Amino acid sequence: MGTVHARSLDPLPMQGPELGVQADDLDVGEAEYEPQQEVLENKDVVVQHVHIDGLGRTKEDILTYEIADVFRAKNLIDVMKKSHDARQRLLRLGIFRQVEVVIDTSHGVDALPNGLDVTFEVKELRRMTGSYNTMVGNNEGSMVLGLKLPNVFGRAEKLTFQFSYGTKETSYGLSFFKPQAGHFERNFSVNIYKVTGQFPWSSLRETDRGISTEFSFPIWKTNHTLKWEGVWRELGCLARTASFAVREESGHSLKSSLAHAMFIDTRNSPILPKKGALLKINQELAGYTGGDARFLKEDFEIQLNKRLIWDSVLSASLWGGLLLPFGDKPTSIADRFYLGGPTSVRGFSMYSIGPQSEGDYLGGEVYWAGGLHLYTPLPFRPGRGGFGDLFRTHFFLNAGNLCNLNYGEGPRAHLSRLAECIRWSYGAGIVLRLGNIARLELNYCIPMGVQSGDRICDGVQFGAGIRFL
Amino acid sequence: MSLAAEAFVSQIAAAEPWPENATLYQPLREDQILLSDCASSLAVQAYLRMLGLPVRVRCRANAEYMSPSGKVPFIHVGNQVVSELGPIMQFTRAKGHSLSDSLDDVQRAEMKAYMELVNNMLLTAELYIQWCYQNTAAEITRPRYSSPYSWPLNHILAYQKQWEVRRKMNAIGWAGKSLEQVYEDVSQCCQALSQRLGTQPFFFNKQPTELDALVFGHLFTILTTRLTTDELSEKIKSFSNLLSFCRRIEQAYFESQDRDSQSGALDYSKGPSLM
Repeated sequence: MGTVHARSLDPLPMQGPELGVQADDLDVGEAEYEPQQEVLENKDVVVQHVHIDGLGRTKEDILTYEIADVFRAKNLIDVMKKSHDARQRLLRLGIFRQVEVVIDTSHGVDALPNGLDVTFEVKELRRMTGSYNTMVGNNEGSMVLGLKLPNVFGRAEKLTFQFSYGTKETSYGLSFFKPQAGHFERNFSVNIYKVTGQFPWSSLRETDRGISTEFSFPIWKTNHTLKWEGVWRELGCLARTASFAVREESGHSLKSSLAHAMFIDTRNSPILPKKGALLKINQELAGYTGGDARFLKEDFEIQLNKRLIWDSVLSASLWGGLLLPFGDKPTSIADRFYLGGPTSVRGFSMYSIGPQSEGDYLGGEVYWAGGLHLYTPLPFRPGRGGFGDLFRTHFFLNAGNLCNLNYGEGPRAHLSRLAECIRWSYGAGIVLRLGNIARLELNYCIPMGVQSGDRICDGVQFGAGIRFL
Repeated sequence: MSLAAEAFVSQIAAAEPWPENATLYQPLREDQILLSDCASSLAVQAYLRMLGLPVRVRCRANAEYMSPSGKVPFIHVGNQVVSELGPIMQFTRAKGHSLSDSLDDVQRAEMKAYMELVNNMLLTAELYIQWCYQNTAAEITRPRYSSPYSWPLNHILAYQKQWEVRRKMNAIGWAGKSLEQVYEDVSQCCQALSQRLGTQPFFFNKQPTELDALVFGHLFTILTTRLTTDELSEKIKSFSNLLSFCRRIEQAYFESQDRDSQSGALDYSKGPSLM
């Protein structure tokens, strides 16, 4: 570390909107600055004042938690690192468009010789931002209006509203989000929504109107979400030709459920990870807080990634779930599990495995699915560091089963039901990463263990998804 | 499926004989079904019984939503689903079963006119009394209609339905009518039916027709359903030939048939008796 001078800190890459600046980058080029006033290297400093300039509607009390650490810095490098961290914390609140840090020697009557003042120059986001999109799908067009009010009450609360008006369906969602001051990961949100989904594999149309409240918090390395949801669900047939089994499910129901979700994610990237593991557990208990849907639903997801030679990655995943109805009412088609498709058990059509009636898939009460993948950057290796990083070739082996349970049979019979008639498939394909949230896959699949009623996709299968086996 | 393909499928279905497992779906008989739905369901049952076509009656809380037209009753025959009396009549005719084959064109036109009268007057009056007359709506209709649902869905659905019916009443100009005027309309309708019936056993000579099934369904249900007041049934009771007509059909098609087939409990779904 070279000679560092306080005055010369201004041009360090602390400014500017790029979020990716790492603390390690800070020492680049520092040695070149000529000492102008006083050498502060290795000298103890005291952060005397921290200013935040440019605050409008933001309340100062929530910011003090984010910047408190800066006062604890003991030397200049520390000040820079802590200020940088504080800047990241401020940006994470999602209420500032820009945050710049200026570190200066203290001025004024009470200024100590080794005193520093840190100033955060912030620019708040506008009170309201809007967006407008149009989407065109199969025989359907829609217009999506979005409104976002960041920092509504000055403490990083966020109010978002989305309205989609389509030729077939109208849906909307209003959500209010409030983080706990100083613990952004501990947050609370309320949502009101109406969504309509069409599920052609079941000839089913579902309209949900609901309210949910969610509380998220971290414990050690795990993230937890507790949620209560009240949904009015309206099911109907997508066409007159829908099977009678689906027709029988039509009508209104009310689900009031308490849900808990937990996940640990040590992967380096959610899409195309190179190492690390993911564990997700969801549980939902419906019916004890009102409503007419009564069930317990459990499901889990595990993924392990291991790096091999030449940047190849071996990835193994396992999914499973169980839906247990209470009382004499059978489970609803809207609550059951579905399996199959280009991002789950490949080689089968979308959600086209398991119980069906006249070609409409009814879902199952228990399922498992497992996958083994070998990802390799070949032959996209020459594009490393650029375009080629978005692509992987993969070889896969998927398996899974989905069935209904007759609850008189006992656990042993259920396990043997899941172990017989296993659907599996293998093949190879190309994976394209879309941002950090989704991926596209083009695979050549060979489905095996096909049972009567399953719809397969033998050969080339294309699909996109945010969750994949 | 395209319209042509649908027509093709229904033609194929028409060629198939009437199956033994034909089923009629209606709302829950004890707690849920409303006067108007009960009348429509009974009319269809009477019609199928007059044709001698067997049908099992199943009660489902979501019958209204299962129906392709959103109205009850509907029948599930083979893999076809047909709702309401009119389409069901067409459907059975396509299969070669009809009650009005012996009528000439003039009589058939007359029958259709009377059926329209019943639908426009009696059915609309039933809907009016159920949903637009405050006492009935609050004490009987809304609680019964929403009985299968839990709070707060029960209120939402009941008021949504009430609003829908009131909008329909507005559209056909009934919204401004008073209860007295509605009773008067029912009276006039019954007067017309009573005159047409005269002393005959059925509306058209000695054979029952679709009109008989429809009139029976409505009158019988009104006579045997308790509402907040008896006024509606009193209006009908003043026409003695209509009363005996109802009794005659009940005896001929419901009681005797149930005695013949021992499966009375399942098939006998008309509700209380007139005797």
